[in-house]
Amino acid sequence: MSTFLSLFKKEIRTCFLSPIAFVVLFFFWVLTGLNFWWLLVQLADGESLTMATQQMFGGLICFSLLVIVPLITMRLFAEERKLGTLESLLTTPLTAVELVAAKFAGSLVFYMVLWLPVVAYTVIQQKLSPAEALQFPDFGAMRSGLLGVMLVGGLYIAIGLLMSSLTSNQIVAAISGFALLSIFFFSTLFMAYTSSNPSVRIVGQYLSPYAHLLDFSRGMVDSRTIALYLSYTAWFLFTAVKVVEYKKT
Amino acid sequence: MIKVSGVTKKYPARLAVDDISFEVGRGEIVGFLGPNGAGKTTTMRMLTGYLAMNAGKIEVAGFDVAKQPLEVRRRIGYLPESCPLYPEMRVDEYLRFRAELKGVKPSARKAKMNEVKEQCGLTEVGKRIIGQLSKGYRQRVGLADSLVHDPELLILDEPTVGLDPYQIRQVRELIKQLSEKHTILLCTHILPEVEAICERILIINEGRIVAADTEANLHKKLHACTVIEMEVMAGKDEAVAKIDEVEGMDIRSASELNDGWVWLEIEADSPAMRVELFNLAVTEGWTVRELTEQEHSLEDTFVQITRNKGGAQ
Repeated sequence: MSTFLSLFKKEIRTCFLSPIAFVVLFFFWVLTGLNFWWLLVQLADGESLTMATQQMFGGLICFSLLVIVPLITMRLFAEERKLGTLESLLTTPLTAVELVAAKFAGSLVFYMVLWLPVVAYTVIQQKLSPAEALQFPDFGAMRSGLLGVMLVGGLYIAIGLLMSSLTSNQIVAAISGFALLSIFFFSTLFMAYTSSNPSVRIVGQYLSPYAHLLDFSRGMVDSRTIALYLSYTAWFLFTAVKVVEYKKT
Repeated sequence: MIKVSGVTKKYPARLAVDDISFEVGRGEIVGFLGPNGAGKTTTMRMLTGYLAMNAGKIEVAGFDVAKQPLEVRRRIGYLPESCPLYPEMRVDEYLRFRAELKGVKPSARKAKMNEVKEQCGLTEVGKRIIGQLSKGYRQRVGLADSLVHDPELLILDEPTVGLDPYQIRQVRELIKQLSEKHTILLCTHILPEVEAICERILIINEGRIVAADTEANLHKKLHACTVIEMEVMAGKDEAVAKIDEVEGMDIRSASELNDGWVWLEIEADSPAMRVELFNLAVTEGWTVRELTEQEHSLEDTFVQITRNKGGAQ
């Protein structure tokens, strides 16, 4: 456990010492800021309040995660391989499980930092809301929305981490992560929303992160979806552990 | 301390290490030599459990590397060849991180860090960022890292690369001091370093151990006859003829120097035959200005072993 904690602290520190972290923070915060501004404009035009949290956690913003997450994860193992520090790490008494877990946890924490402004926006909405809009903002929906982006983000990070563990080139890790996430995201999206075959549509709705994020941000917490994401994530992390154990060159 | 038996490592395209066996006793300081690509680094990586072997068995401090890798790693301090470090960290941060990973107790951490920093001459750069340090300092950070958990066995891959001559001496002194408490396996290209520090030498070539002995014994085995150098004031042909007549002596080469002296290289049965040469010169009335036995450097021995013997065990 103490090994995990030292590795985790090191991950967080390295993450915030890298310029990429701040570039990612800047662009994601600009995006969420624009998103919030757009939401306010729509609300001012008399749009229904029920779409508010949905707009914040689901919808367009989840397209940006396909790019953002590989940028966070590309460094994780590719840099260690490039520097040769993977060798010095794996010759200390630690296990590959601890190493992968610490890197995953560090990235997940950074990823959740990305979402902090959205929480702030929700609070701002509450302060600005007229007294008659008692239902607004919906903190329950905000919590489930956060749970949703965490589950989806966790899976994306696990995929990006696996890609990073396979190469010593960060660009290759980022691009292959982006490619894999895009294939997964768009194929399930098209299955769920554009297929003419009803059974394909149902399968797509079960699998599509886009659909899931919409559900979560509406306050719908489905244990099947949670189990789906946790098991996907676990599988990718397990594969990454095996890669770290066996791929040394 | 180290017991390697029948270890083989295959890479997809080639056989890197071919059925090697050797032992290193507790407290020994052993030099591990070999030309580039001979399998040195592969062997070290298998000793530390970083690479898995295809066949054979390695024991370190009584633990099987394949079965109890964590126990083995707790007892090894390893400085990899490229001396990998995190350029964005500060020296103190890095050493603390490594001490934590290697299970140094929190109460002992501070003292241990100060001790290794002092040993490696890093006390003044603790707050500096590793990426901004010179190669020599980085090398010392790597060395400090390998010492920080007080390992029983130190495996150092090229510890003096990138250091200036003064630092090289310091590091050699340090390694000598360390050898009182630790077993050391020193892998290097720099032969004088091995001559200066190591008690025993292992030479690996094309994936096989081709020699394992003390330096003196290696010389003895390789150089059956003594070579004597002599410079005399005499006719070249006359001197060559006379010396060849003496039993147990052969002229290897002879040449006239610019200043009129004759330089001779003589193969003799023993170093004691220098006396006979001197007496010969006296009776013949030659003036002698040099009469020495050629020293064999480790470099000669190394070149001879790795070239002539090829892969023969």
